Amino acid sequence: MLKNLKGRVAFIFEEEDFDVDQIVGVKNIKLRDIDEMAAVAMQSYDPDFAKNVHAGDLLVGNVNFGYGHPHYPPLKAMRHLGIAGIVAESFSPGYWRGEVANGFPQVACPGIMGFVDRWDEIEIDWAAGVVRNLTKSGERPFDPLSKGDLDMISAGGLEGFIKNKIQQEKKVQS
Amino acid sequence: MSFTIAEKILARAAGQAGLKAGDDIQVKPDFVHAYDFPGYTDIIFKTMKEEFGIDQIPEPERYAIFIDHMVPAIDPKEELLHAGTREWCADNNVALFERKGIGHQVASEVGYAVPGSFLVHFDGHISQMGAFGMLAVGLRRHLLEAFVRETITFQVPATTRVNLTGKLQPGVMARDVFHHVVRTIGPRSCNFQVLEFGGEGMMNFTIADRQTLCGLAMFTGAITAVVNPDEMTLAYTGPLACLELDPVCSDDDANFAAVHDIDISELAPIVVVPPNPSNTEDLTDHLGLEVQTGYLGSCASGRLEDLRAAAQVLKGRKIKEGFALHVIPTSNVIMARAAEEGLITILAEAGAFISSSSCDYCFGRIATMSAGQRAVSTGTLNVRGRMGSPDSEIYLCNAAAVAAAAIEGKIADPRDYFDGPGDTQ
Repeated sequence: MLKNLKGRVAFIFEEEDFDVDQIVGVKNIKLRDIDEMAAVAMQSYDPDFAKNVHAGDLLVGNVNFGYGHPHYPPLKAMRHLGIAGIVAESFSPGYWRGEVANGFPQVACPGIMGFVDRWDEIEIDWAAGVVRNLTKSGERPFDPLSKGDLDMISAGGLEGFIKNKIQQEKKVQS
Repeated sequence: MSFTIAEKILARAAGQAGLKAGDDIQVKPDFVHAYDFPGYTDIIFKTMKEEFGIDQIPEPERYAIFIDHMVPAIDPKEELLHAGTREWCADNNVALFERKGIGHQVASEVGYAVPGSFLVHFDGHISQMGAFGMLAVGLRRHLLEAFVRETITFQVPATTRVNLTGKLQPGVMARDVFHHVVRTIGPRSCNFQVLEFGGEGMMNFTIADRQTLCGLAMFTGAITAVVNPDEMTLAYTGPLACLELDPVCSDDDANFAAVHDIDISELAPIVVVPPNPSNTEDLTDHLGLEVQTGYLGSCASGRLEDLRAAAQVLKGRKIKEGFALHVIPTSNVIMARAAEEGLITILAEAGAFISSSSCDYCFGRIATMSAGQRAVSTGTLNVRGRMGSPDSEIYLCNAAAVAAAAIEGKIADPRDYFDGPGDTQ
């Protein structure tokens, strides 16, 4: 079972159909160096973001988060800065699949916009299937993840997930 | 029980009868495709060997690799990537298609268009193979599972059905229909679902039109698109198909997440305004906007129908001085056919820059725009920086509209260049 995620809302992306490439800026989506990615992340949204974010903080997004042609550096940069997961109203499928394969915890939680303010402390409770606002109290259910997605996030990403599957099959065969 | 075509295809491929949307399954893809690209194929080949100890891929006939990006290479690093891909394919006895055209189109020309089959790729535009009554899904990094295991972990998707009625007017094309669908049902209407096209209007769409309709499915949030196979499909796939499967269709009373009826008979040309593929607006609202460059090509457009429409507009005319029109037929087969029909001559005489097939124009690797430039394009996407500087702009439109803009140097109505009904075909 996944460990619950508890952290502050480090940023709320209010834009619907948000294109994650904007996090680092389109001109930077081909960066390979993680420190360079982190240095440019969030510059157009909050230049002090890197200074204020803590390890374990979470992001909140609006409807269809990840729309467009998502690349991997923006979220790599976010993870490097300490971001531990994303709660959004809903996700765009290509983006969702890509980041779940990276083992990055994400939940679609209808109503999350307006339920939390920036810097509120929130918790993703996997067993209860809710996002809790610990600062203001109250909770909202999130959409259940498919078994494959949940297993992939639990395994820390695609490679671990596939290895677990192979192990399980070997056990069944022996 | 009634089923969608997606449910039927997955039930057959998973060997599990009666599958319904929402079921978690392990399913064996009939075909596993990829184009070589840094971060995808090179990583997959390396991970297979180093993490999973696979030296030789089982059932190599299920796999195909395409070299269509970075063609031709512009630095030694790119050529090295291609060399590694060639070597891996030779070592694993996997089919390699290099410099034949854009892989998603080439796949349909060399036998992978098999109604009823399940195909996976990492790239989402593979959805265009749905034109042939098959399910073709872009898995992004998850494609790795298809290279190291026989089956992949998958959830049976729900389906949204779009019924098209009516016939397009001259100068209006399949490309406009897709953008109109986005405008009508919304950019997230089909999230995680299959977008299924049907209705009596389908019989007016050629195979190429259907590929265009299906290839951009991701901009409705769909994981793929599909057209139920009909006589036209089977006439195309029959002589070529490398695998024999029974074609399947959605049952009339299948359980669709939503059904939309869209009449296209009065549809006017559309432009998709930057920087978002959901910004679909009437082209007539943007007439006169100055553009400096045009791109006619890509896996979504750039087929014979597109080249014919452009030739109709450009015949006996000249591109405006200083305007850069790049015409890139989607495959070598299409290039040869276009030459036979005299289209290449018309386009060249009008002043077009015509290149062999490559994906590279679509993402600005070549014909790169500088800040402040504006393009009309039949490419796949109009996000910032897609074709060069983040401060350049891309207006997506149909092939005839690209040609019309090339003549006038500004966004122009392609319908003014068509005399009567039926000239686009």
